[in-house]
Amino acid sequence: MVGSPVLLIAIPLLAAFMIPLLGMIWKELVRIIPGLVLAFMMISSASMLMYVTNNGTIIQTLAGWEAPWGINLVFSPLTAFLATLMTFMGFIVWLYSYRFKRNVDFEPAKKYFIFLMMLVAGAVGIVITGDIFNQFVFIEITGISAYALTAFYTGRNSAEASFKYLLMGALSSSALLIAIAIIYSQLGTLNMADIASKIHLMPAGYKVTALIFFMMGIGIEAEIFPLNGWAPDAYTEAPGPIGAAFAGIVVKAGVYAMVRMVFTLFDVSGAMDILLTIGLITLIVAETAAIRQEKLKRMLAYSSIGQMGLVFVAFGIGTLEGVYAALFLMLNHAIIKPLLFLSGSQLVFNSKEKLIKEVNGLGKYMPFTAVLFALGSFAIVGLPPFAGFWSKLSVLTAAANEGMLLIIALILIVSVIEIVYYFRVVNRIYFFDKAEDLIPQKPRVNAVIAMSVLGAIILIIGFNPDVVSTVLHNASADLMDTPQYIKNVLSAGQSLTN
Amino acid sequence: MIYLIFVIFLGGAALTWLSGKIHPILRDVVFLASLIVPSVLFYMNVEVGQTVSFSLIGYKLSWGINYLGYLFSYIVVGLGVLAGFYAIPAMKGKKNLGFFYSNFVLSIMSMLGILFSRDLISFFIFWEIMTWSSYLMVVFQGKDVQKVGIKYFVFSAIGAYAMLMAIVIIYSLNQSMMISDLVSSFASFDPTMQWLIPILLLVGFGVKSAMMPLHVWASGSYSHAPMAYTSIFSGALSKMGIYGMVIVMVSLVPIIPEGFWLRETIAWLGAITAVGGTLWAVAQDDAKKLLAYSSVAQLGYIIVGVAVGTPLAMLAALFMAVMHGLFKGALFMVTGAVERQTGTSNFTEVTGLIRKMPWTFLAALMSIIALAGIPPLGGFVGKWMLYESLIGSSHYILVIVIFFSSTAAFLYCYKFLFGFFLGQEEKEWAHVKEAPAMMVVPMLLLAFGTFVLGAFPGLILDPINAGMQEMGFASTQGKYWEMSMLFNEWGDQIMLQPILYAIIAVFAFFAIFLTIKGFKKTRYVTTKDISSSGEVPLEHENLTFSVNFFQPFLRTVEPLMKRQIDKYYNEFGRGMEALFDFTRRVYTGNGQTYALYAVIFIVILLMFKNTLFGL
Amino acid sequence: MELTLNILGAIATIVLAFIVGMSYGGIVRKITARIHNRMGPPWYQNFIDAFKLIGKTTAINHGIMQHFGPAFVMVSSIVSLMFIPILNNGGWFTNLNFDGDLIFLIYIMVFGPLGMALGAGQTGNPNSAIGVTRGLSQMVGFEIPWVMALVALMIQFDTTSVTGLMEAQHETGRWMMFTSPFAFIAAVLAMLGMFRYSPFDIVGAPTELASGPVSENGGKYLFTMMSSGSIFAFVKLTLYVDLFMGGADNLIILVLKTFALYMVPVLYGIVSPRYRTEQSIKFFWGWPTFFGFIAILYAVFV
Repeated sequence: MVGSPVLLIAIPLLAAFMIPLLGMIWKELVRIIPGLVLAFMMISSASMLMYVTNNGTIIQTLAGWEAPWGINLVFSPLTAFLATLMTFMGFIVWLYSYRFKRNVDFEPAKKYFIFLMMLVAGAVGIVITGDIFNQFVFIEITGISAYALTAFYTGRNSAEASFKYLLMGALSSSALLIAIAIIYSQLGTLNMADIASKIHLMPAGYKVTALIFFMMGIGIEAEIFPLNGWAPDAYTEAPGPIGAAFAGIVVKAGVYAMVRMVFTLFDVSGAMDILLTIGLITLIVAETAAIRQEKLKRMLAYSSIGQMGLVFVAFGIGTLEGVYAALFLMLNHAIIKPLLFLSGSQLVFNSKEKLIKEVNGLGKYMPFTAVLFALGSFAIVGLPPFAGFWSKLSVLTAAANEGMLLIIALILIVSVIEIVYYFRVVNRIYFFDKAEDLIPQKPRVNAVIAMSVLGAIILIIGFNPDVVSTVLHNASADLMDTPQYIKNVLSAGQSLTN
Repeated sequence: MIYLIFVIFLGGAALTWLSGKIHPILRDVVFLASLIVPSVLFYMNVEVGQTVSFSLIGYKLSWGINYLGYLFSYIVVGLGVLAGFYAIPAMKGKKNLGFFYSNFVLSIMSMLGILFSRDLISFFIFWEIMTWSSYLMVVFQGKDVQKVGIKYFVFSAIGAYAMLMAIVIIYSLNQSMMISDLVSSFASFDPTMQWLIPILLLVGFGVKSAMMPLHVWASGSYSHAPMAYTSIFSGALSKMGIYGMVIVMVSLVPIIPEGFWLRETIAWLGAITAVGGTLWAVAQDDAKKLLAYSSVAQLGYIIVGVAVGTPLAMLAALFMAVMHGLFKGALFMVTGAVERQTGTSNFTEVTGLIRKMPWTFLAALMSIIALAGIPPLGGFVGKWMLYESLIGSSHYILVIVIFFSSTAAFLYCYKFLFGFFLGQEEKEWAHVKEAPAMMVVPMLLLAFGTFVLGAFPGLILDPINAGMQEMGFASTQGKYWEMSMLFNEWGDQIMLQPILYAIIAVFAFFAIFLTIKGFKKTRYVTTKDISSSGEVPLEHENLTFSVNFFQPFLRTVEPLMKRQIDKYYNEFGRGMEALFDFTRRVYTGNGQTYALYAVIFIVILLMFKNTLFGL
Repeated sequence: MELTLNILGAIATIVLAFIVGMSYGGIVRKITARIHNRMGPPWYQNFIDAFKLIGKTTAINHGIMQHFGPAFVMVSSIVSLMFIPILNNGGWFTNLNFDGDLIFLIYIMVFGPLGMALGAGQTGNPNSAIGVTRGLSQMVGFEIPWVMALVALMIQFDTTSVTGLMEAQHETGRWMMFTSPFAFIAAVLAMLGMFRYSPFDIVGAPTELASGPVSENGGKYLFTMMSSGSIFAFVKLTLYVDLFMGGADNLIILVLKTFALYMVPVLYGIVSPRYRTEQSIKFFWGWPTFFGFIAILYAVFV
């Protein structure tokens, strides 16, 4: 086991403050240090994931305050899985954008890498913390980095997108605070496990109101309809790799927070159905909106929202299989959508408007990027033998086991729509004539490596999904087992005091 | 061994692509090797009934071939290898050949994989690989990709997802993905599921076998894919739909109470497909489109046979499936050869190639005779059995409909031969040469196959019989067929050998009669040298007759062709896009609106929290 | 020895069919002429024409398909002749009666027109091709009532073989034109198209198409086609007699019955002008198909 959960948060935060200073020594360090940090986080969380799989949950209390009172970090199979995924994606995004603005402009690059690191750290924090107020803080950290990154290209559109994001983020924070206040006023605790164990004491009206505010607050981060208005703009206007980071990291943290609330903290019976309904609406609205988009990244953004809807549908099924399917979907989406964002932004690199029609005929000029984009498209619409198929299959079997035939039908119909818009783009890449004035952009080595790693993972999971199934099974069992979670957290606190 | 076959296919596909970067000839060799080596391994080493099982994320998967699969493997492998040889000269000089060839190998692999699948998951996986590899072939030439290609893929996806839905339902009921478990426990499902599952599966298979109303992709896709591929696309790939349909119709539908109506519906859909396909084929001026519609029609006959499902009908359907693979494969190859040599496949442009491409003509002639079902070639055997089975099973109106369709098929058969090979020889095409031997030989082999099966249908009826026995039919040998004899339900017989000998004898006699003291003395004259009411047509006069070829007939059947289901689909698609445009407008791009949405969201949840959260 | 006898029998059948068919052709020419108030040729004129043609040197050909076209046509006539019972008790004329059935006959009878169509196609004469397209279109027309009639018979007697149907007539002792009258009506109406006398002579259409598909053929080609046509006429008539009129016990009865039947299309034709192709198809899809339908209903329910 390398490192400990707290280092996953402490090191990037520390590094973020150090980077400007180090950058004065040697400019290249601004790029290298975040990479090292992210690599460390990735290795550390992966090794802890292995440890957790074998030895059970790691609970770490901060500053010696034991569980119900202090802040603690929970590194369970679920959170370990998500943390590993996020740090890995963070590393990939870093790798892809290593030469971002190199030799051109030092100042933006510095900000970019700092915020990227903060984004990952915040997201990891959301996932591994065991305290709702602490989680709120991490949501804010993530959010602020995300606003900043959205506005990165200082232009009218980016500013507007960022402002929208900020607006929604403010709403999100207020809602979260209200919810936290309600819970604290009723239960007198902020520790998740403690809340979970005491939630039955809370009057139903307060409980549901708190849950609703949580849903709104987190729903904005998790891109559920109708709270996701900021997402298409933010994805479109942010730099390409940041779109990948949003899809692979930020949204995953939001989904986790939402699911943690519904599955562990609250015992509200109707919440699952709400989750399922909201997920379904999100899925349908987003996918149908995606088909008429003209900008590539915008289309990908809507697709990403739709996929998140599907994840919520899978969680909303509420069974172990459903959770397993949802986590599988999250994993696949975290791999495939970044690949699409990375290769897609590579495809529209030199075009001004980033329109879909500007990718026409690029297959000939950028063969590698185009193949990876096609691979991503094949995978995301769930064609075997690529990764997306297995998650789609597990969602459907989970739904079928609950007899939700209508939902299966809806998911599949939406998948057909998904096929239409993805294949239109793939067709354009390969079978249309390139616009005369467009200069294809040759991807750099680091970008190629980043993208091919993702592509390789898609193929590996596609051909042998068993490589991830154990981890997913553990994680889903972990999420479903609330008593165990409470016991782990609270008894760990006691053992420390003893 | 079974794994090895698929590993070689996959590796072959990858190697084909890579070796193309080194040298084209190496690529061709690797391509053929990756088709032939696994095929040989398959036939040498894999016995029927031999299975391998493994487990993947909790599903037990099992691969092995059964007798029915073995039968279909003849179509897939035989046609695949011949089309592979054909493809090399046919595709010469085109771009992205590595992509084409590796896709080709993947297609063959996926079809063989479907036949090997003993469980639904691997069946679906191979099915989808087949779908996207064929999709990539449809769009390969880059024509109309957004329309034809997307249409093909959308329909395939609808079919595949219907099938996937059936698969997950089956899994939820059975907790097993094995096809055999499905068959054995199907009787215990409740009636809703007993209806739903076969219908969903049939939608899936109906798309690939171009059944009305799921056929609209076929004409465009068949004609847009390179002809070297279309010959297996139409000849073998569509048979995978038939393969699935046979399983559903034989193993599941009889169990459903009142399942009779499902059978009749499918049979009638098949018949309507046959008539519609034929009429549209007659109306086409492009050979590819003509053959595409003809494929739809021929698959319609096969569907009728499968749906009627008496032993004789099933024999007929499976025999026709093999036959269709042979002659339609050959005909698409012929079209490809003509297109390669002349640059067009339009009847109104190219005429009079018979003297330039005699071997191609011979292959076309034999295949067309087989297609038309005229004795002594094999097409007749299938047609005969189909009619007899329909009459014997009291489908009297159906038999008339089928007969109408197959008589009308003569029209497009003649159009195909006349359009390409006969008629005025024009100067424009004087330079045309015969296609390379590597293209002609596969066609001739396929055409010769129709001849052999016409005389000895027992050769293929034997494996068909084995496949049917495996599915629970009694042995049909001796009852309905012998090596070269056929019987109907009432014991009336057809002796194919005397027919063949009589035909050969009479033909030979008159051929000699006409030739002796005739052919040498006669001198060949051009097609301009004809009797034209005493006037000699001048060189510049255009005497080609190819436009509005069957106009009077088409005028007669116009009412039947007025309703075109394709138009409704297009309207539907446009309507949906308009609707989606509306949902797109939900995202106004205005931050205030989004904030308003959030407020509305929370207000609604708070107002209705009691109902929504079940308090 | 048996094979030799069989071959001799076959040759005898062919010769018989040739003579009868040719004579009928001549007689029809005569009758037509008399009704048109002309003298007309003698009844043996067709024989004279045939032998003249065979004696002529064929000067030109348009290629291999046109060369073999007539052979295809002949295959169709003679092979179908082999499968049709000439007399009730078979005898010398048994040939291959038991080796095929009606559906086979329907299909082998198409072989000839297709061969002719191919031969005509290669000549490059547009009139020929137009004739062929008309012929094929018309065939789609009349095959429907014809097949409906046959299916009705098959249903009624549970057999698809010609000999089986003839036996059935013997057992009941009644001709099928009485036991299944609607099938007979449909079949006779279909026969009008099959013989291509006016108003259904759209294929040859002398004034429009200059005799259509055969127009580029002379000498031996035309002889083969002509004799094939005669044999084919005999085949069709005999088939009708076998199916609907209880067959024939000896040659004289056969000749009488076939001749009587032959007069139906001939006399209908002499007094009718020519149809257009559409009209012809619509004619067959009208009343004949209706009768065919009734025939099937009759066979199922009666």
